Amino acid sequence: MTGTPVVDPIIDFRARAEELLPEGASYDACLSCGLCSSGCPASGLEGMNPRQFIRMAMLGMNEELSTTPWIWTCTQCQRCTYVCPMSIDIPALVGMARGAWPWEKKPKGIVRSCQAQLRFSSTSAMGLRSEDFIEIVDEIAAEVREQDDRFKRLNVPIDKQGARFFINQNSREPAVEPEELGPLWKIFDYVGADWTYASKGWAAENFCMFTGDAAAWEEMVRKRVDAVNELGCKVWVNTECGHSFYTIWKGIQRFGLEANFELGNLISYYAQWIREGRLPVNSEWNRDNLKFTIQDPCQLVRKSIGDPVASDLRYVARKLVGEENVIDMQPCRSANYCCGGGGGFLQAGMTENRRAYGKRKFDQIMATQADYVLTPCHNCHSQMEDIGEHYGGHYRVVHYWTLICLSLGILGENERKYLGPDLAEIGLQS
Amino acid sequence: MQQKPRAYEVQLAVIGSGLAGFAASIFALERGLSTAQVGNTGAVAYTTGYLDLLGYHPVTGQQMLHDPWQGLETLRRDEPGHPYALIRNDEIADAFHLFTRAVSDMGVNYSAPGENNLAALTPSGTFKPTLSVPLTMLPGVEAHRRAARTRIVDILGLKGFSAREVVANLQDSWPGLSAVTINFPGMESGSQVYPEVMARALQVPAERELFAQQLREVAGDAEYLGLPAIMGIHEPDAVHNDLERLSGLRLFEIPTMPPAVAGIRLREAFEQIFPERGLLLIPQQKVDRVTPEADGTTLRLKDSYGDVSIHAQAVILATGRFLSGGLEALRDGVREALLNLPVTQPEGREAWYRERYFDPRGHLVNRAGIEIDPQFRPLGRDGKPASKRLFAAGVILAHQDWIRQRCGAGIAIASAYKAVESAAAMLTRQT
Repeated sequence: MTGTPVVDPIIDFRARAEELLPEGASYDACLSCGLCSSGCPASGLEGMNPRQFIRMAMLGMNEELSTTPWIWTCTQCQRCTYVCPMSIDIPALVGMARGAWPWEKKPKGIVRSCQAQLRFSSTSAMGLRSEDFIEIVDEIAAEVREQDDRFKRLNVPIDKQGARFFINQNSREPAVEPEELGPLWKIFDYVGADWTYASKGWAAENFCMFTGDAAAWEEMVRKRVDAVNELGCKVWVNTECGHSFYTIWKGIQRFGLEANFELGNLISYYAQWIREGRLPVNSEWNRDNLKFTIQDPCQLVRKSIGDPVASDLRYVARKLVGEENVIDMQPCRSANYCCGGGGGFLQAGMTENRRAYGKRKFDQIMATQADYVLTPCHNCHSQMEDIGEHYGGHYRVVHYWTLICLSLGILGENERKYLGPDLAEIGLQS
Repeated sequence: MQQKPRAYEVQLAVIGSGLAGFAASIFALERGLSTAQVGNTGAVAYTTGYLDLLGYHPVTGQQMLHDPWQGLETLRRDEPGHPYALIRNDEIADAFHLFTRAVSDMGVNYSAPGENNLAALTPSGTFKPTLSVPLTMLPGVEAHRRAARTRIVDILGLKGFSAREVVANLQDSWPGLSAVTINFPGMESGSQVYPEVMARALQVPAERELFAQQLREVAGDAEYLGLPAIMGIHEPDAVHNDLERLSGLRLFEIPTMPPAVAGIRLREAFEQIFPERGLLLIPQQKVDRVTPEADGTTLRLKDSYGDVSIHAQAVILATGRFLSGGLEALRDGVREALLNLPVTQPEGREAWYRERYFDPRGHLVNRAGIEIDPQFRPLGRDGKPASKRLFAAGVILAHQDWIRQRCGAGIAIASAYKAVESAAAMLTRQT
């Protein structure tokens, strides 16, 4: 990011803040108690914190707020709102401030990702076109069929009309690590799910939302909603990606889109399939009693579904690794901290700030002394790996799908890049 | 978008997530009632962590009560309308024991409530009478009693806690007291540091070693070090013990100004453990509407994910006072915010406050609140219970002045105990 932007028009933060207040609340009743700042990992970055932000808004310091680069270090994780006795929504103000920055001054990584999404019908932030996606999927599916007899009839449907589940896909796998696509397909195959990808609008990520440009966010969500409606699927399900859920769920409401389907999240389906006995996972493979902790993605837990999905994250984890081997980080569930990977922070090029933000997550993980962090979110995954390396942690970060397949004995040799040597050989077919 | 409505059926719904609400949930779970709790972050996040029973009576006397149980007997005679007049001493003692045991089980250990008040330190170097304190703070009571050589430590960048101020206020009665300022390892930039952030850092074994080293270097000949409350959030006693082991010193905590960790510890323990024990907890949300029905009461609210309804056989109102939104101060009087229950209050606004803020008689508006019957059922305008299903607990109750009497936690815990007992009896009669 370069320099201080010239923002025109400058936002009247106080007026916008008043509009955002819940009924009966008042900024006069803000005690300036500082619970927001105390609980915010971005406090102190760029000389700002949430309490200061809201007080400056009340004082009419609009120019300062319209130009502070702090808004790109705030991941809009809503932890401040969560602990505020007045439920004051500071992240919404941050979103407005982001939107008002001139495009050429916004962090380039976020802008480029959004532009890529707008350019292609795939809506992929990594610029992966639909035809490439289909080709990669076909190729990897053929490999899975070849490698494991049990999946020799594995089918990866694309554009299957009337399938029950519409599954989205984070671009990271097809673009960067296609071998990571297999585990989720195997799980669907195992439970006999009736599912499909789509050739358009399949991507999970939405960097347009992080630019603060509401129109671009809406366009992204609209394309995806249209894709699901066209295929007539009953349930849209996110992959293990936190913000992909929030962006479509919030976007449908915010922009009043017509969505003829339900929104489901993958973790709760894992939990349901385990309860129903369709995914007979167990923890016998964890012979060394390796310890696991859970990162609650803010976008899925605190910002969207809340406690029910936090409980499902734990239910699935305990089944997978053994009750006594799950050590919750503190705080957890809806009160968990953002890792600092979300909100576009990973792509914003502000590495030093991002790692300073992530120190709190690092401390949380280290306090558990866990060997592995389990998380169903790509941004969390990347950020926790990076801060682990930066601050000298020795934990590893894994997706749920990796452990589910490991436990079922169906994890291929090439699907283990995030597992340590301790698990590299477990359950491999000889 | 098709979103399934979320509707829950429980025996008991607790409205409010302050100390009274959480205490009610603890007692309800002990009784095996299926329970839901809803409420915006209560004032629990602002607590010192001390659990007061009764610190002063009569308040005008300004003499700390040594024996609060005796004080309660006098209080009942002098103030027959006080909520404590509806609860016996043995019931209050039971409630305190159950509550402190439950909280200790959740990882925040408390001293056992005893016969006498403890003189507990405040961040400004004064004492307050209280019944039970977190074990991380207890050695401070003992150090003072023994007038032991003690050094108060403050931290560069931490606002609202000054070791020099503590020492200045205490040095006459505590000659062996001294002050020192240190840097918290890794936070030496000089910008503001928060107790919560330091407490989280001290959860990490490696950070504890660095900090203990720091403490050893400044301890001098002190036997005790008094620190702002930063010794961990989750299971603070383990952090405390480990720091004592590493430093070879006796350590104690002094509460800090909000945002302080003592309250965050309690809130996070409740929020984490209740759902594990099967309680439906919807924190950070307010109930919008309460609708009485023939077979129960329905609570309606919105959380970030959408509409929620809870159908309950019994409801406990523990919504607190003005800060938490249980009471509203309007131009024409004080109103109970959720159900519009009648509020006992001074005639007219001009009678709310006395001329002088420190008037020893206190301010009348502080004793405003709702009326209850001996079963802790709020009274309607006709003086009869507003509903057989509705109970109330905490400082929303009238005829008490909890800040000046130092009885806020005691009223919360004891009235929650009684309200749950009455609700359980009603539920039993019903079946």
